[in-house]
Amino acid sequence: MVAEQQPDSLRFPAARVYPSRFRMKTHMQQQRVLRAWLSAALAGLLWVNLAHAQSGVKVALDEVVDDRFSEGPLRGSLQVGFTIDGKDIERVSAARIIIKEAADDRGQSLVLKGDPPDFSPRDINGGKLSVRLANPSRRSKSVNLKGAVELFVPSRDPAARVRVEKPLSQLDKPLTTKGLRAAKLNVTLLSRQKYNEKMKSQKLDATGIAEIRARGKAEGASEEEINKAIELIKALQELGGGEVPEGAVVISASSNDLDRIHRVEILGADGQPMNIVSRRTSSFGKEATMILQPSEPPSAKAVLEFQLLTDKARVLVPFDMKNVALP
Amino acid sequence: MLRLTILAMTLILLPAPETVAQKKKVKAPAMAAPAQVNVVRVNDRRGGEPFQRLELVIELPTVPSTGVSAGRVLLRSAVDDSGNNLMEETQGEPALGSLSVARRGDSTRPAALSFTLASPLRNATSVREVRGEIELYMPSRDANSVALLPKFMSSKGKALSHKALKANGVEIMVLSEPQYEAEKKRLADLKRKEMVKEEYSEDTIASSIEIFLENFLAPEPNDVVVKIKDPKKVIQEFSWIDSSGGEPKRLNTREDNGLTFLFTWEGPPQPDWALRVSMLTPKNVVRFPFVLRDVPLP
Repeated sequence: MVAEQQPDSLRFPAARVYPSRFRMKTHMQQQRVLRAWLSAALAGLLWVNLAHAQSGVKVALDEVVDDRFSEGPLRGSLQVGFTIDGKDIERVSAARIIIKEAADDRGQSLVLKGDPPDFSPRDINGGKLSVRLANPSRRSKSVNLKGAVELFVPSRDPAARVRVEKPLSQLDKPLTTKGLRAAKLNVTLLSRQKYNEKMKSQKLDATGIAEIRARGKAEGASEEEINKAIELIKALQELGGGEVPEGAVVISASSNDLDRIHRVEILGADGQPMNIVSRRTSSFGKEATMILQPSEPPSAKAVLEFQLLTDKARVLVPFDMKNVALP
Repeated sequence: MLRLTILAMTLILLPAPETVAQKKKVKAPAMAAPAQVNVVRVNDRRGGEPFQRLELVIELPTVPSTGVSAGRVLLRSAVDDSGNNLMEETQGEPALGSLSVARRGDSTRPAALSFTLASPLRNATSVREVRGEIELYMPSRDANSVALLPKFMSSKGKALSHKALKANGVEIMVLSEPQYEAEKKRLADLKRKEMVKEEYSEDTIASSIEIFLENFLAPEPNDVVVKIKDPKKVIQEFSWIDSSGGEPKRLNTREDNGLTFLFTWEGPPQPDWALRVSMLTPKNVVRFPFVLRDVPLP
């Protein structure tokens, strides 16, 4: 379970400065708002102002794009953008939008099947977040959105950062670090030879194809789209995964474990994160691989720092936006 | 993976890069019979300025894509069913050459083109009417459409000779290194004269000439520098064909002080490659009027 609370150390908004057509309240905040109303009435203030003064992070609606396609292989979507800001924003490493309910004003649900989006680091795309929904009816004028912004705040949990000393001397065997053990994460750094062997063993078989078909269907893809995806995977496999570049760090784990790792940094001799020119993650069945390519080969003394998406480090800031106008 | 597939498809459907076809002075071709046109895709991208627009992809079922090298849609009027004008205010004439890459050379599919309109109102349910003309560049209709110049790199310093170039009044010369240096010197001297006339200081003139030579007349390693005379602006496209005679590699062009730089991102041409020059002629450019009515909006 992810914390749905507002610890004293990091307060999240009870309200934000939305355009007047939006409201945003958490369940707990609703009670707080009631109290705030009374206080504000006494103080002669609006609750919005009082609540905003308490906010550590606030969420605002950004751009709404309704990208509509006629029948065919290309599918449209409603893309809703958000921004987050506030005095505690610097403590937020990453965030994502989780939609619980979304419907147009004709009652048509817009929620797409599938996993929620990955956490988006704050230093990407100016910290903007977005979520993809189904196209609303053309005749609708607005949508209602209910969900949460999930924040990753590693400073809230010491266990969210795990350092592994001299990991490059521990290739091809699971990393044994207290922090990783505590997090129940099974992670192995692969040598180039082991990586190549692993790639060769990962060929798309009947089971794999069945899994792709099932997943494609669950996500609403057409038979044609699924077939194209399978062909593409086969073609890519024939090309091979490519050689691991010199100096690259290859991290192997189960897909579930890798999903719990937000980011991995290679710390150089100065203790600072090295410049990573390329980060690639791929999965095959239940196994996943992450390849980090630093701008120069790391030394044998390099340290790996794992940023883990622990429950304590994740904070949900629910929102309830009504009558979001459609373009 | 599905996202990857869609991305790959989107990339395939991207318009081809623009070539020299953008500044045509060629007389508008005669109009042929109205074209049979099918709408194959409508994309109404609403919001997200400046990318908000309505895009229609149309297919010409009676025109095989193999015969068409380029095309464009010249719009005359467009209106949605609420009476809203869909002609974009700033819309100029699109360049010939925007034929979807996926269709070129695919003999199993008819020619397809796309065009964009202004965003219709949300409460509109269809495009009531679009009127315009479709212009197609069909090189096979004229023997003088294409000049194929084998081993052109060995003809540096001489005017390239081909009957199609002559018929279209085009002269092309690949500059040799000494010619290029001489041309640079001539242009620098010309610039110097102008600046002296305008009474600039000697220091300013020297630094300006240096910047001019370094920044404006500096070919990249892959560039082939040519001098072109094309008074009727008929050159549509340059491409290279390698020694295997495979798919032509379309070239990008950059013009600078009367010189043209031909290049691709894939590297310089090899000595045994051919240069292909595609040209517009009255015979190979065809225009069809068309009308679309009641196109449902997604």
